[in-house]
Amino acid sequence: MPPIEKDTGKNELKTKIQKLIDSNQVVVFSKSYCPYCIQVKDLFKELKIEFNVMELDLMENGSNYQEMLLEMTGQRTVPQVFINKTHVGGCDKTMQAHKDGSLQQLLSGEKEVYDYDLIVIGGGSGGLACSKEAAMLGKKVMVLDYVVPTPTGTTWGLGGTCVNVGCIPKKLMHQTALLATAIQDARKFGWEFDESVKHNWDTMKTAVNSYIGSLNWGYRVALRDKNVDYVNAYAEFIEPHKIKATNKRGKETFHTAARFVLATGERPRYLGVPGDKEYCITSDDLFSLSYCPGKTLVIGASYVALECGGFLAGLGLDVTVMVRSILLRGFDQEMANRAGAHMETHGVKFIRKFVPTKIEQLEEGSPGRLKVTAKSTETDETIEDEYNTVLIAVGRNACTDKIGLDKAGVKVNPKNGKIPVNDEEQTNVPHIYAIGDILEEKWELTPVAIQAGKLLARRLYGGSTVKCDYIHVPTTVFTPLEYGACGLSEERATELYGPDNIEVYHSLFWPLEFTVPSRDNNQCYAKIICNKLDSDRVVGFHYLGPNAGEVTQGFGAAMKCGATKEHFDATIGIHPTCAEVFTTLEVSKRSGGDITQSGC
Amino acid sequence: MAHRFLARRIWTLSVTDVRCLPSSAVASSSRASFLAPSRTLAVSHAVRRAVSFNVQDNEDFTERVINSDLPVLVDFHAQWCGPCKILGPRLEKAVAKQKGRVAMAKVDIDDHTDLAIEYGVSAVPTVIAMRGGDIVDRFVGIKDDDQLDSFVCKVIGQ
Ligand SMILES: Cc1cc2nc3c(=O)[nH]c(=O)nc-3n(C[C@H](O)[C@H](O)[C@H](O)COP(=O)(O)OP(=O)(O)OC[C@H]3O[C@@H](n4cnc5c(N)ncnc54)[C@H](O)[C@@H]3O)c2cc1C
Repeated sequence: MPPIEKDTGKNELKTKIQKLIDSNQVVVFSKSYCPYCIQVKDLFKELKIEFNVMELDLMENGSNYQEMLLEMTGQRTVPQVFINKTHVGGCDKTMQAHKDGSLQQLLSGEKEVYDYDLIVIGGGSGGLACSKEAAMLGKKVMVLDYVVPTPTGTTWGLGGTCVNVGCIPKKLMHQTALLATAIQDARKFGWEFDESVKHNWDTMKTAVNSYIGSLNWGYRVALRDKNVDYVNAYAEFIEPHKIKATNKRGKETFHTAARFVLATGERPRYLGVPGDKEYCITSDDLFSLSYCPGKTLVIGASYVALECGGFLAGLGLDVTVMVRSILLRGFDQEMANRAGAHMETHGVKFIRKFVPTKIEQLEEGSPGRLKVTAKSTETDETIEDEYNTVLIAVGRNACTDKIGLDKAGVKVNPKNGKIPVNDEEQTNVPHIYAIGDILEEKWELTPVAIQAGKLLARRLYGGSTVKCDYIHVPTTVFTPLEYGACGLSEERATELYGPDNIEVYHSLFWPLEFTVPSRDNNQCYAKIICNKLDSDRVVGFHYLGPNAGEVTQGFGAAMKCGATKEHFDATIGIHPTCAEVFTTLEVSKRSGGDITQSGC
Repeated sequence: MAHRFLARRIWTLSVTDVRCLPSSAVASSSRASFLAPSRTLAVSHAVRRAVSFNVQDNEDFTERVINSDLPVLVDFHAQWCGPCKILGPRLEKAVAKQKGRVAMAKVDIDDHTDLAIEYGVSAVPTVIAMRGGDIVDRFVGIKDDDQLDSFVCKVIGQ
């Protein structure tokens, strides 16, 4: 590609192109042989619309044009279609615009005037990422975020679930619990200290929430610095292009936009039994609870249930987890059960196959005393017990039922409230998109919501075509013994490829740092699942052990690159670490070989 | 402009009056109180001027900071900010040394986010020096006593 030498030449070319765009109703930058260009030109012919075409491959300085177009639109490829000075994009975008009617609107020149190019509903992980990116691409953007208080009155600041009542406080409280183990280990390593090691809930809670406060502020500043209009109000559609925003004082304002992104996230589900909303708390309340919860019953087997139960037990509390059926639905069940078994050996009690039927208050207080009645899922047996706190963690509901989606015509899956979208996060209404936890059958993780939001903004306003890749998403469950995974569970791989076409390699291992304190031998476990039909490509990665997030992240990158068992074997380990176990996995499950680590 | 200036002066005066009321007499400095006849009584208490005050809302900020006839140091702080807890008292001390030649307004950025956003606060603590409604100086982060003294002196023009 000949570089455009002089700036003056560059500017001249830019002016020339701009003039073309400004003085023609339709301009198509094209290459004569390109089938997509032909498709676009055919469309305009069919619509009997006059258009001006520039065949870049037939022009002497066509490649300079292409470079300049890239600079002007962020898009390198042809065709590039401009209608009434608006950059429509390539073939896909033009066809889509034809389908959703925006092409005709552009052609008729009567652009509707909206207050905003984009309004994002929900200022959580996905919404903030999307709105900031769109604003950086020069669009006029508004984001609305409003936290409906929990039944016990808890609310929080800007940033959504992850920052306020999810990832961040969860991980910090998990860390608090890990420190307790470290303190115990410390004696075995020769540290001597007075017996009394106590934990102060209030100190932890205040410190964690102070940090969250600084994050809330950081998000607010970022919105100002990126010129995103932020409104702390609850948004709902009243027309397809118009929302009503109600703030905490009940004041209503109205705003219109050409496009919308829904990023409203989810909130904890309640049980629907007497006493649940009156006396129980959820993860939305736990992290800012003003008192230590005391003897706690955790209801549910979601990762939220196991993580919260895990760290509460780690703080020294009496914790019971009541499980209806299986642990960590959707995750590899062998791993889930191993993580659960480890919790059990560390004092967490499990009541399996029981569901609560009512919760009664015996005594008010901070914490008070509650009586929980539960019934077996298999027999007529009922049980009762007393707890100070009951934490419900039985899943989360998408916040899609009270945002006027019917007024906008957006389809929702009536079974679960989730919003179906195409692979570009577009709903059935072309100008409305959805990202994050409210999507159907997608990972409910912060980095996924962020990535989807950013890429969506770049596709809408930056001429990008890159879509969010929901495959090979690494993740970690922060149970006391952490569980990191990437790719398929063993069950899913078996289902997809057939039991004969996968090979599972596995090993137990004993982290060096556990040896001196002599704890948790034969509890840490590593497993990979390989697709025999595809050069033993690693399609599932599973790790149960310390620092699972740190270990799993890099392997996630390897799997994105298509790593095979051979690549794993050829990788040199870092010694002495836990992660190195993946470079020496020899025993296949099929072989039935021994994987236990014998002690000294 | 001149007209506005005049209006502001008068306004400021009455506000100052309220601020000087013994705390018992000024029911949480509500706006209504300075319209009450008791205002004239207050003047004699002018010496009891407090060096620092917490900003209550936007209106309060306009009245006591923008329309102040004294230079004002605005301390934007947050509950969650450790350094703010160190700087606040130091600044208060530096202001007290000036014996009424400068005032200090404290703004909690979580309670008054709009103000902080409007005044370009990104990190806390941020201290803004205002005179006659204009920003004349600012700094971000912590400073020691000597640095604060010279900052305050510069602001009051010494
Ligand atoms: C306990 C817990 C632990 C978690 N731990 C992790 C973890 O370790 N790692 C990880 O990756 N993920 C974790 N997650 C998941 C992660 O928090 C979510 O995947 C992520 O927050 C989803 O982002 P989102 O943008 O879809 O929605 P959210 O972050 O939930 O944001 C949605 C926002 O929209 C607001 N809103 C809703 N309706 C309206 C309306 N009508 N008008 C205005 N505002 C509205 C909500 O109040 C909220 O602020 C955890 C979740 C929980 C509950």
